Amino acid sequence: MARMKFLCDADRCIECNACVTACKNEHEVPWGINRRRVVTINDGKPGERSVSMACMHCTDAPCASVCPVNCFYTTADAVVLHSKDLCIGCGYCFYACPFGAPQYPKVGNFGSRGKMDKCTFCAGGPEADGSKEEYAKYGANRLAEGKLPLCAEMCSTKSLLAGDGEVIAQIYKERVTRRGYGSGAWGWQTAYRETIAS
Amino acid sequence: MLIKRTQRRNSLSGALVEQSGGFDRRAFLRKSGLTAGGLAAIGALPFGSVRKADAATAGPLASGATVRKSICTHCAVGCTVTAEVLNGVWIGQEPSWDSPINRGSHCAKGAAVRELVHSDRRLRYPMKLVNGQWTQVSWDTAVNEIGDKLLSIREKSGSDSVYWLGSAKMTNEGSYLFRKLGAFWGTNNTDHQARICHSTTVTGVANTWGYGAMTNSINDMRNAKTMVFIGSNAAEAHPVGMQHMLESKEINKANFVVIDPRMTRTAAHATEYVRMRPGTDIPVLYGMMWHILKNGWEDKEFIKQRVYGFDDLRKEVEKWNPEEVERVTGVPGAQLERVAKMFATEKPATLIWCMGQTQHTVGTANVRASCISLLMTGNIGKSGTGANILRGHDNVQGATDVGLDIVTLPFYYGLAEGAWKHWSRVWEVDYDYLVSRFDEKKMMETPGIPLTRWFDAATMPKADVAQKDNVKAVFVQGHASNSITRIPESMNGLKALELLVIADPHPTTWASLAVQAGRKDGVYILPVATQFECKGSRVASNRSMQWGEQIVKPIFESKDDLEILYLIAKKLGFADRMFKNIKVENNLPEAEDVLREINRGSWSTGYCGQSPERIKAHMKNQDKFDLVTMRASKDLPEIGGDYYGLPWPCWGKPEVRHPGTPLLYNTNLGVMDGGGTFRPRFGIEREEKLADGTTRKVSLLADGSFSKDSDIKDGYPEFTLAVLKKLGWDTDLTEAEMAVINKVNPTTPDSVSWSLDLSGGIQRVALKHGCVPYGNGKARMNAFGLPDPIPVHREPIYTPRVDLVSKYPTLPDAKQFRLPNIGFSIQKAAVEKGIAKQFPLILSSGRLVEYEGGGEETRTNPWLAELQQDMFIEISPADASARGIKDGGWVWVTGAENGSKAKMKAMVTERVGKGVAWMPFHFGGWFQGVDMRSNYPKGTDPIVLGESANTITSYGYDPATGMQEPKVTLCQIAAA
Amino acid sequence: MAALSRHIRFIAGALALAIMIAIAIPAVAQQPSSVNPTADSVKEQQLLQQLKTIQGRGSIPDVKSYVIEQPAGRDWREFHGVTLRWIGGISILGTLAILVIFYLWRGMVKLQSGRSGRTIVRFNAFERFVHWMTATCFIILALSGLNISFGRPLLLPLIGLEAFAAWSEAAKFAHSYLSFPFTIGVVLIFLIWISGNIPNKVDVAWLKEGGGIVGDKHPPAYRFNAGQKLIYWIVVLGGGAVAISGYVLMFPFYGTNVSMMQNAEMVHAVVAMLFIAAMLGHIYIGTIGMEGAFEAMGEGTVDVNWAKEHHSLWLKDESARAAAGAPPRQSAATPAE
Repeated sequence: MARMKFLCDADRCIECNACVTACKNEHEVPWGINRRRVVTINDGKPGERSVSMACMHCTDAPCASVCPVNCFYTTADAVVLHSKDLCIGCGYCFYACPFGAPQYPKVGNFGSRGKMDKCTFCAGGPEADGSKEEYAKYGANRLAEGKLPLCAEMCSTKSLLAGDGEVIAQIYKERVTRRGYGSGAWGWQTAYRETIAS
Repeated sequence: MLIKRTQRRNSLSGALVEQSGGFDRRAFLRKSGLTAGGLAAIGALPFGSVRKADAATAGPLASGATVRKSICTHCAVGCTVTAEVLNGVWIGQEPSWDSPINRGSHCAKGAAVRELVHSDRRLRYPMKLVNGQWTQVSWDTAVNEIGDKLLSIREKSGSDSVYWLGSAKMTNEGSYLFRKLGAFWGTNNTDHQARICHSTTVTGVANTWGYGAMTNSINDMRNAKTMVFIGSNAAEAHPVGMQHMLESKEINKANFVVIDPRMTRTAAHATEYVRMRPGTDIPVLYGMMWHILKNGWEDKEFIKQRVYGFDDLRKEVEKWNPEEVERVTGVPGAQLERVAKMFATEKPATLIWCMGQTQHTVGTANVRASCISLLMTGNIGKSGTGANILRGHDNVQGATDVGLDIVTLPFYYGLAEGAWKHWSRVWEVDYDYLVSRFDEKKMMETPGIPLTRWFDAATMPKADVAQKDNVKAVFVQGHASNSITRIPESMNGLKALELLVIADPHPTTWASLAVQAGRKDGVYILPVATQFECKGSRVASNRSMQWGEQIVKPIFESKDDLEILYLIAKKLGFADRMFKNIKVENNLPEAEDVLREINRGSWSTGYCGQSPERIKAHMKNQDKFDLVTMRASKDLPEIGGDYYGLPWPCWGKPEVRHPGTPLLYNTNLGVMDGGGTFRPRFGIEREEKLADGTTRKVSLLADGSFSKDSDIKDGYPEFTLAVLKKLGWDTDLTEAEMAVINKVNPTTPDSVSWSLDLSGGIQRVALKHGCVPYGNGKARMNAFGLPDPIPVHREPIYTPRVDLVSKYPTLPDAKQFRLPNIGFSIQKAAVEKGIAKQFPLILSSGRLVEYEGGGEETRTNPWLAELQQDMFIEISPADASARGIKDGGWVWVTGAENGSKAKMKAMVTERVGKGVAWMPFHFGGWFQGVDMRSNYPKGTDPIVLGESANTITSYGYDPATGMQEPKVTLCQIAAA
Repeated sequence: MAALSRHIRFIAGALALAIMIAIAIPAVAQQPSSVNPTADSVKEQQLLQQLKTIQGRGSIPDVKSYVIEQPAGRDWREFHGVTLRWIGGISILGTLAILVIFYLWRGMVKLQSGRSGRTIVRFNAFERFVHWMTATCFIILALSGLNISFGRPLLLPLIGLEAFAAWSEAAKFAHSYLSFPFTIGVVLIFLIWISGNIPNKVDVAWLKEGGGIVGDKHPPAYRFNAGQKLIYWIVVLGGGAVAISGYVLMFPFYGTNVSMMQNAEMVHAVVAMLFIAAMLGHIYIGTIGMEGAFEAMGEGTVDVNWAKEHHSLWLKDESARAAAGAPPRQSAATPAE
């Protein structure tokens, strides 16, 4: 069974933000919600690396574990999704998430959070695949159409990989072997409790 | 735990397992990772097949959608955009896997282009400034009023007093018609963005070896062993190009050298980063060449066979010993020696440059020095080598080629009588009629005013402007005003104009600054469709031509560029003549027909073989082209043997089926396989003065070098009928071809050349004999005729190193392009006044990945605007702490001229070295601390506004092209 | 001495070297002459080991997004899912158990001298309003809060996902909105009763005798005995702590970052659990634990005999004040006996 994962090869990432706008484009994500983002470490210094980060769809996801209303679920492809109908906007998943993935629209009063929004691995939500309701709440469901997340598909340098964990790990491993360097599979230890030996 | 529709899920994951374990996974792995074929990234799904199989199961949102392809409009890499359209609405973007250029990828801008068409902030209808208020008018009214005003200005001040500013965003057809409109109106004051991005490249490169374009391609960089970026930040300016570059770095273990004043996002991936002082490209390059010559790393055979002027160059290079280079540039000799060694010995090596080199008063000389370094090491005309000049707009190469320019008619024919006569034959219009359109015949043959100086031409005393009158009207279609330096002075120009017409999808800073300048009337805004709403051809940086389909119809009341040009021409009274051979329906000229006319006239540059049918076939068969060679297999129908996009020169008529030229000047291939030679464009021999006062004649033709399978095994001049006769090849011409040749020049048909022969016969015959129609010459290290035939270092007008000015002064004042260029006086005054003490920081400028050009379009796109919400200036931690400036704090930046000032946020970063500050140039909508949001027509203001970098930039113009100097000036920064 | 001179020599040498280097580097040189950004690249595992979180620079204004990895989220999750439940379970269930056992063993503390029929004002209307406002809020806050911690394992299986989510969302809103009257209540409680709640020597004696809970002795006390003072300070300090930590959570990222919020949540949850446990004791004593106690907050008056037994010193003070002709501490609304 395929186990979907993300992998950002920081030695390829050039902080072009295509992943960010591809996500906005595909799901019509509103201003202020950033399901995916790119952060640069050691900016301007030799050794600088940029990393594209979103929900990593963790194994034994902390968000799902701490959610007071149990609104998360994991699909057969190991994609961690949630139900906005159940979410109460408490913010706990944000505290637990190692990757800062959950986003909350600012609605109503004093900084109170609306329904949590996060990367769906382009796999929608609990509604019927490809339905208008699903699109409105979670965005497009590419996985159901046999496509992978658009952020990775449109990545300018093929830095961001998405797909079956074994396959993308293999690609990364090959790259590292071939070129002789690799700054690591960012987030894998934390998300999947594994690293890619290189 | 919720598990949704287990059944459904299982079926999908089942498919995934099968695909990832079976053939597709293997195929994927084979193609991915680091192998040369590499679809080097994505997950396990075989996209093509799954998409088809799942079309039925796709959600109702996507079902029934049609797929249309166009080309991204945000840089010149040439990414294909794949659009899904449902009921006339662009509902989604999909990766364009089939394109050999982008292979599915996009950058932030490309992945967000759908919003450009969606935008509710687009201009909806024509508008006119009435008593300081933007007022809606109809298209008819707008065109009539504009036309009447233009005609009255023409009556009073002559045809040269209207400035026609076109755009590199237009298709070839649009920019060609724009230039043609200028010709029929009677002026050479027709320009576009190439002036401010790569005019110096075009001039410098063309003067070296014949054509003003990137010699190889981004895909070809996959063959390089050494890549030297000097003045290019590909990661931000050409992100998808970086895919090929990084894979080359990984696959070939290629050296990746970045020479730049900033530690850019590109430099972050370098294997060697060299920090230099802005404006010292020539000393850096000479510093490299010094080591090359000292160690004998130069390619002696190549130089002997294919290069002219090496000895003259050597004398200049010898002045640049490591000590002097370090004193001027700040780069240590040991580092440059290392880079020079890689460049000269770890071959093939390529040089990549962009506006970091070109946007200088010494831009042309910078570019020349780069070309010379390639010639010296033999790194040109082979795969993996070359001048990989990355251009900025989707069709800036094409718009330059089609002559949207002040110095030439389409396709570099120049402005001489012969050129006009050629085009009058192509256009089937009387030469005399064209002459009658100009103020006088002399002006017809005099280069126009560069767009960098339109406001000088509007405001300087009439006597200083070498044409009948000042510029009185500007008609700008698709060009930002905040991309042009010296904004404070352009405000006077905006005020002085009698008429300003802004044709654009957005009001642009022309509108907001015009209101800010105090204008109350005389400004029109015409809504233009984006290129996604128009069809036509675009030429990417690598000279590949791609056809873009119309994705959706123009929204609101906006119109196709071609329609607007037709309406204006009709109003001005020459539409019948101008569109004589072009089908026009409902005022819309047919793009295909325009391209056919281009084919018929563009022999000089080889746009003659690129018929719309061939180009469209390429778009249809994108997946059949090889990633590295970009060639399709020879046995394919329609496209067999072609290189992707028929990169020009694509010789002969379309029927000749020339495959295009992926690498210029490549002697390793036959001409019919895309090979070529250097173009002998500057005569076939030159008289050189020797030290003893005598002269000798030196051949400018190649010496023992020729393209593969050439029937002439040595250098040869361009082909004319006379040359064919001499070779006895004239008998190969058909009767019909001879008839056309005789018609071209009935009195002396022998003088008809390969570029004037409308039959294409001379080209056909030359190709038949394996010869390049333009001849086989030497590239010039000594480009006699240019202001500095051998590049010479000259300090920027405003330099912090006043100690170097006396040794390396800028060129003397002179009159160029109808206007005085007083750079020398300004440099002298700046030194005398001690400007460098008052303004101690070097200010440079450049691109952000999220925005393009003047940025109004991209700053209106919320998906992009969200990512860069504030104008900022990069300042080093040392300079910041000395001034009490905090990261993210507001600062005032003051400039060296006009008491200019600008308010923005500080970004304290080690990207810039001490003494250097840097700004992105995409912002606009603020002027000297004033937010001009209310100056825009209601509802059309971009989401993000900010100070323009060019509010601070200062005087400085390249003598050969009129290029501005936005890359080096001086400034001071203080916490606000 | 020799060592010292050697030391000085070393310093001088180092200085000279430094000066030489400084001279050797031309003013324009901006960097070492070998820079290989690829070879120098940062490594994820190394950063994680050194820094615990990985943070960089982004371009969107959302500065919290610049943290790309904070494995601390896992620790917080451990706390939230395991530690907190143990703390809450033990403190609340433990307290309940003790109270039940105590009640079964001790029963209600009766008025030994029976009711005198005379009453004395103990809490005026404003005091009672403040108390009950705070108390009501507290109960709702406690229940909605407990729902967050324990609802998922306990309540959700009973009522199902949808109903539980609906209830939880309502509870969350109640929790947010009622925090304001609760906080005001805590502040008022602090102000109106501070004078009677400064610990003094009497408290020591009272505590020594265990407050008379066991046995029949009634150690003397002023208006508030040491036990009540303890409750007061639990309310003031605990209430303050939950309020502050709660507002940190309610206004996310107003000057805080995610680790501060994690800590705030931990403080909030632990203090709340202990607070709830303490309040169970308070409720017990104020209701079934002691005869005559509820009236104090219920009606505002207590039987004089109750006062005599539990707050003898207070009764004395009040009587003295009445004898001196001073107006009674309470308003005339106090019913006469």
